[in-house]
Amino acid sequence: MLFQIGDYLAGAVIGMVTALIVRIVVWPGMDMVIAMLIGWGIGTILSMLISFLLSPLLGILETMVPGSLTGMYGGMLFGMRDSMAAGSRTMGAALVVGAVLGIVVTVAMKFYDHVLRGPVIETGD
Amino acid sequence: MDIQTRKKWDDASRTYDFFAAVDDRRLGSEKQKLLAKLRGKALHVAAGTGNDYKFFPPGMDIVSIDISPKMLEQARIKAADYKGSLQLREADVHNLDYPDETFDSIATVFTFCSVPKPIAGLRELYRVLKPGGQILMLEHVRSTAIGPVGIMLDLMTLITRKLGPDLNRDTVGNVQKAGFRLRRVANVYLDVVKTIEAVRDDA
Repeated sequence: MLFQIGDYLAGAVIGMVTALIVRIVVWPGMDMVIAMLIGWGIGTILSMLISFLLSPLLGILETMVPGSLTGMYGGMLFGMRDSMAAGSRTMGAALVVGAVLGIVVTVAMKFYDHVLRGPVIETGD
Repeated sequence: MDIQTRKKWDDASRTYDFFAAVDDRRLGSEKQKLLAKLRGKALHVAAGTGNDYKFFPPGMDIVSIDISPKMLEQARIKAADYKGSLQLREADVHNLDYPDETFDSIATVFTFCSVPKPIAGLRELYRVLKPGGQILMLEHVRSTAIGPVGIMLDLMTLITRKLGPDLNRDTVGNVQKAGFRLRRVANVYLDVVKTIEAVRDDA
């Protein structure tokens, strides 16, 4: 149970930190393609760092796999949003959206894990 | 003996339990289920600090090898609690000094992410396994079902390779390339952590 809570918290933290750094780096009016690439890079690096820091508590793969998706896709989406100044006008709102995205990705990964879990080859001998 | 690999794991032994302890709590039941299938004289490859010993079935005759003497120093303490015969030996999986067809079963837990030449290592295990014997593996591999995760594992490997394991190997394919026949492959976490059961078929 604690691992489940920890997984969601880790996802939320990665989403929030990615949203925070992207908001600081990307300004309204920045070329959207550049902003998305910067966001992707920021999210990728941050998710790797945070996953590594949390790995003794939660396991490297269990934090890194959902975290990497949150970081990569979240970073691009936040970069696009912030370059357009579209939505999440305050930093607080941006952080909440980041946390929600992280939790949603974690839920999706847990569902996908449930789908994939089990034998993929079984000869029966 | 691969001196570079030995030094890497000697260095890693200082923090190994700090990072690996969580695996026992999250994946301990999978380890236990897999290792319960060990039979006869068994070889355990990559002892590490001996974290797998508590999952071995009692009363077995097991040889546990590792390339790192520093890892084995710590493993010896945990081996003392095992209720059976458990010998620890320093050895390189690429070049084992056991005769052909020595062991009835072989176990590896998060090992072939770290062996420098995985197919050569698996071929050596094939050699020392008796015909009809089985290899039981719990390994993490590159994701193929989730494209971005596979890319992320490729990127992470650029860093993790310096400190320890590769995260993006095709270990299921490597097992087949070494000559084993797959008997059962199961996903344990997404398609990234798998149990692999394979046999040496030339009985």
